Amino acid sequence: MSQVESMLGVKILTPIRPGIERGVIAATPGTETSPDIDVEKKLKEAFARGWSVIVWNDPVNLMDYVVYVFKTVLKMNEQEASRHMWEVHKQGKSVVARETQEKSELLVHRLRGFGLNATMEQI
Amino acid sequence: MTCEPTEPGHWRLTFPEPEAIFIINVLARLARHYQENVSQLPPALRAFWQGKITSGKSTDAEELKESQETLSEARAELRSERLALAENWVREFELTEKRDPWKVEISSAERDEFVAMLNDRRMLLALEIGITESNMEIDPGEIPNEKRRHAILEIDVLGHFILVTLGPQIYRP
Repeated sequence: MSQVESMLGVKILTPIRPGIERGVIAATPGTETSPDIDVEKKLKEAFARGWSVIVWNDPVNLMDYVVYVFKTVLKMNEQEASRHMWEVHKQGKSVVARETQEKSELLVHRLRGFGLNATMEQI
Repeated sequence: MTCEPTEPGHWRLTFPEPEAIFIINVLARLARHYQENVSQLPPALRAFWQGKITSGKSTDAEELKESQETLSEARAELRSERLALAENWVREFELTEKRDPWKVEISSAERDEFVAMLNDRRMLLALEIGITESNMEIDPGEIPNEKRRHAILEIDVLGHFILVTLGPQIYRP
């Protein structure tokens, strides 16, 4: 049991089964859910850079404009921005950032505000 | 059209009158578009304005539903903000007596919004007409369909205005 589980006194009640005399067993990770542990897990996930921001190709956006948007929104330098622009153009998409869920959402909003087709995906 | 810096973070756009009239017409059309109810738009335009936040796998459908709703709300707010901006530009032009050349002084943030709005018009034309990458690569003069030809010409001209507005800050391959 982890320290957090121990502090929370995580235990589950089970019906009496052969081999379990008192009907109470110590919980092992992965065998039960607790709202507190869910919160901890969700916090960990929220702060992990577990999301990719992807920009997809489209027939209309200008290459120079896309580079400008990458520099403005993603604070890329010229070289990085043009590399990602070419990747979008040649391969149809490019992963332009790996961020937390919240930051990825913000970046998708801003890129879409400039008219780029951006989405996010869990890594 | 020219775009020159006046001081750090500020720019002056100068349009000969015919170009100013073209831009104002574009902004007036955009203003009408921004006022339309998104749910009444054709599917391609509706998808553009509602946006899709995720692609690929995801683990928490409920949380992502919230994110999707937030994105759609943000897109709706963007339409309202851009409607106000487009109407301002049109009003300023109507009130200006000296229109040749027409001069507009804007901040860097306003300049970004201006190019994003011109880009909206390009995207909307492309989505409405169903313009593909190969359409964009051929000489517009060779496109027999008049509506499609006009749309591609407008997309090209607006692209020119975007590049001039962004001027020396853009990448030149």
